[in-house]
Amino acid sequence: MKSVLLLLGISGTTPFLSGCWDRTEITDLAIVTAAAIDKKDNNQIELSIQVFIPSSISGGGGGQGGGSSQGGGAVTTLVRYENGSNISDALSKLQSKLPRKVFWGHCKIFVFGEKLAKEGIQEQLDFLLRHPQPREKANVYVSKGKAKPILESLPPLENYSGEVLRELSDLHIGMLVTMQDLDEMLTGIPQAAALPFVKILPPGKGQTKLQGIPYIVGTAVFKKDKMTGMMTEKETRGLLWLRDEVESYTVTIKPKGVKGKISLSPVSAKVKIIPQIINGKWKLLVRVNTDGSVIQNGTNLNLSNPKSLKAAERAYQKDIEKRIEMAFLNTQHKKADILGLGKDFYRKYPKQFNKIENQWNEVFSELEVEVDVAAHIRRQGYINKPAGLSEEEVKDK
Amino acid sequence: MGGLSLIRNVGKLLRKTKEKKSLIQSNYQDSKPADALDANFNLNVETLRSVYDNCSDVMFRSFLLFGKTRAMLIYIEGLSDVEGIEEYVLSPLMQESSKEPQPLNEFIEHKMPVPKVVKVNMLADCIESISSGNPILLYEGESDGFSLGLSKWEKRAIEEPMAEGGVRGSREGFIESLEVNTSQLRRIIKSPALKIQSMKIGTYTRTNVSIAYIDGLADKTLIEEITTRLERIKIDGILESEYIEEMIEDNPYSPFPQIMTTERPDVACSCLLEGRAVILVEGTPFTLIAPISFFSLIQSQEDYAQRFMAGTFIRWLRFIFMGLSLLLPSLYVAILTFHHEAVPTALLLSSAASRESVPFPAIVEALAMEITFEALREAGVRLPKQVGSAVSIVGALVIGQASVQAGLVSAPMVIVVAITGIASFMMPRYIAGIAFRMLRFPMMLLAGTLGLLGIMMGIIAIVIHLCSLRSFGVPYLTPLAPLKGQELKDVLWRAPWWMMDTRPRLTGDSNVYRQSSEQGPNPKRGSETE
Repeated sequence: MKSVLLLLGISGTTPFLSGCWDRTEITDLAIVTAAAIDKKDNNQIELSIQVFIPSSISGGGGGQGGGSSQGGGAVTTLVRYENGSNISDALSKLQSKLPRKVFWGHCKIFVFGEKLAKEGIQEQLDFLLRHPQPREKANVYVSKGKAKPILESLPPLENYSGEVLRELSDLHIGMLVTMQDLDEMLTGIPQAAALPFVKILPPGKGQTKLQGIPYIVGTAVFKKDKMTGMMTEKETRGLLWLRDEVESYTVTIKPKGVKGKISLSPVSAKVKIIPQIINGKWKLLVRVNTDGSVIQNGTNLNLSNPKSLKAAERAYQKDIEKRIEMAFLNTQHKKADILGLGKDFYRKYPKQFNKIENQWNEVFSELEVEVDVAAHIRRQGYINKPAGLSEEEVKDK
Repeated sequence: MGGLSLIRNVGKLLRKTKEKKSLIQSNYQDSKPADALDANFNLNVETLRSVYDNCSDVMFRSFLLFGKTRAMLIYIEGLSDVEGIEEYVLSPLMQESSKEPQPLNEFIEHKMPVPKVVKVNMLADCIESISSGNPILLYEGESDGFSLGLSKWEKRAIEEPMAEGGVRGSREGFIESLEVNTSQLRRIIKSPALKIQSMKIGTYTRTNVSIAYIDGLADKTLIEEITTRLERIKIDGILESEYIEEMIEDNPYSPFPQIMTTERPDVACSCLLEGRAVILVEGTPFTLIAPISFFSLIQSQEDYAQRFMAGTFIRWLRFIFMGLSLLLPSLYVAILTFHHEAVPTALLLSSAASRESVPFPAIVEALAMEITFEALREAGVRLPKQVGSAVSIVGALVIGQASVQAGLVSAPMVIVVAITGIASFMMPRYIAGIAFRMLRFPMMLLAGTLGLLGIMMGIIAIVIHLCSLRSFGVPYLTPLAPLKGQELKDVLWRAPWWMMDTRPRLTGDSNVYRQSSEQGPNPKRGSETE
């Protein structure tokens, strides 16, 4: 009994000896919500971080109400920046400007400046992947021009600009690339990557200068770790089709022989990419199976008529084919296999691929592509005939 | 070295006091009179008078039997039925006109209109009888006394149990009187297989203690073990069944009770039907049930009084909140001090905002709030009814609003404490809730010093401890460890009654089958007609 008590006493006090060495109160943390990395002229980089200001949200501590004056546009974050030879150098300098410990655990947005992207991101990426705090699930972007203004913008709707980018990415309008994806793309065989390209939407009239929000305008194409070009918004859409990432998407088509346009949304699609080598010729078969529902019909076609429906479906199919081909040609033109097709070929034809591995980019740029789209219009909404047209005006046959 | 010698000295001191205690106990036992009644009437009366010296509540009523023989009726005021004594004892025995029937003892034993007449010839039995309210009749020329079953005292009416309420089911609760309590059991289980053995414990209180069990369902050796453990108790008085619980428990150094208490006859009877034993103690409505498993403590009579889906749902809810009552504050502290990346960003930001003006570390804040809450609850139980509302208002204001507004405590912490408080009330057995309430504090300390790692260590320690516990030989975590698949039907969910065809196996191989297993929906054709 005695020894048990002694043992209990000793072991019971040991937790206190450690003195909570790694205890960090939440009030001692500078929670980074977004980070931007720019290249300066003198071969230095500039690290900017967007830090959340806890007292800006009138939470429980601030007493009741909060007051109506604290409406939208209240400053909830601050941006600090510092130069350095690399991120860790800049960060250590930055820490001396912040009274709280920098905490990366909730930083879900990393923006690379255009200049840095063109000169290579590998060195900076290493820090972000090696450091235990930043998340691999964080989204990565490339900004038009400098990246710092994106952090500095004060969006009217969301709490901070990082949140705007994250929400936009979640809508799958542009590419959604996490740090892990980026790492995989860069280390994979094709050694090409694509990152969403963002720029600031200029503020409307009457809004303050900083109230513009960042939005996704296209895709930055990387070869190795250097940005080599970019794709427009429309090409990006085609890219999303190829990557099978189409979600809540609107397609507007123009059927042959009639006036006006038909819009389909939401569109769902199943995309299958089949690599083929036929008679020594490298070929790619893209098989798309897509469904859409009509949300607007500006033509005089009665879509409950199978004949007119067929016409619309044909137009739909042509449109999708065109989008995909355009996007694919664009990537071929850039000689950057951002779709990771090299991996697909390698899986199916490992021997042949190993032979041409070093010239893969050339092979890729000469790849023949065949797009096979099966497009269907499944639903046409609550009404059959176009709204606001008399019986005679509707073309029934 | 100094520390060790100190411990040794303390050990010596403990041993000395132990010796003293055993001396005292033997003294108490010697004082019990073990003599037989004398043939001399006067001597007997004198002895009893000296025994009850200075006891003003003991009445010595002397009278003449049929106008001739001297007689003495001894009873305690308030414990015996005075009207009954007058009507059925004194008035027929004091009729001078009638002839004295012969023999006199035959008349008293068989012809007196009294429910129970017992011949006693030991002085000790006389005293026992008088103390329990049965008057003793002594008369000249007879060496035996007669104990007349006329005890009657004031007792509380049967009321709804205070600590174990319910929406559906019986509303009767046990009361302080042992006879009433056993009668309630007997009223539910009418079979003569329900056995009730009694004994008296306590040198001064001589408290009646009864062991109830169902012959054929309860293991014989189990009853023997309970009896021997009860007989081992040497104590001056039993005021509550807890005294007995601690004396016979397998491991009293555990925060978890290995004997269940209930104040509901229906719960006691359901345990009897499962082959458990019920120990009833005079003077308290709380009866003891043994052996039990951990899961008995989180089952409520209400589970069985409702449809089985509702019962299952409530049981699962209880499991969740049992975990919350133990872990919620420690999880909150651990995440806020060590694992900031483990919460969603929005939640972290809002809790960061709420903690901005709080001057204490999370662990201090949590401990202070939990202790305050426990104090408030304790005060609520203890305080007089008239000031109850005042305390609850002040408590709610102080804990809830004022402290948050003053910026001393963050609002999420108040929510955490409130949820924890509610969770610990979810436990149907008050005593099990207390175990979790107590363990919460070491868990919080572990969380505050070691984070989730500390919580993990704490949980492992608790589980190991639970595995090592036994209640009268039954592993505490049955049927989970050791795993008994059949019995999970009453632990993981509440199976419908037609599925409960086997009893839980405790000790021994008593009657396993509760009922026929073919009572489910859609009975086979023909089975009904047979």
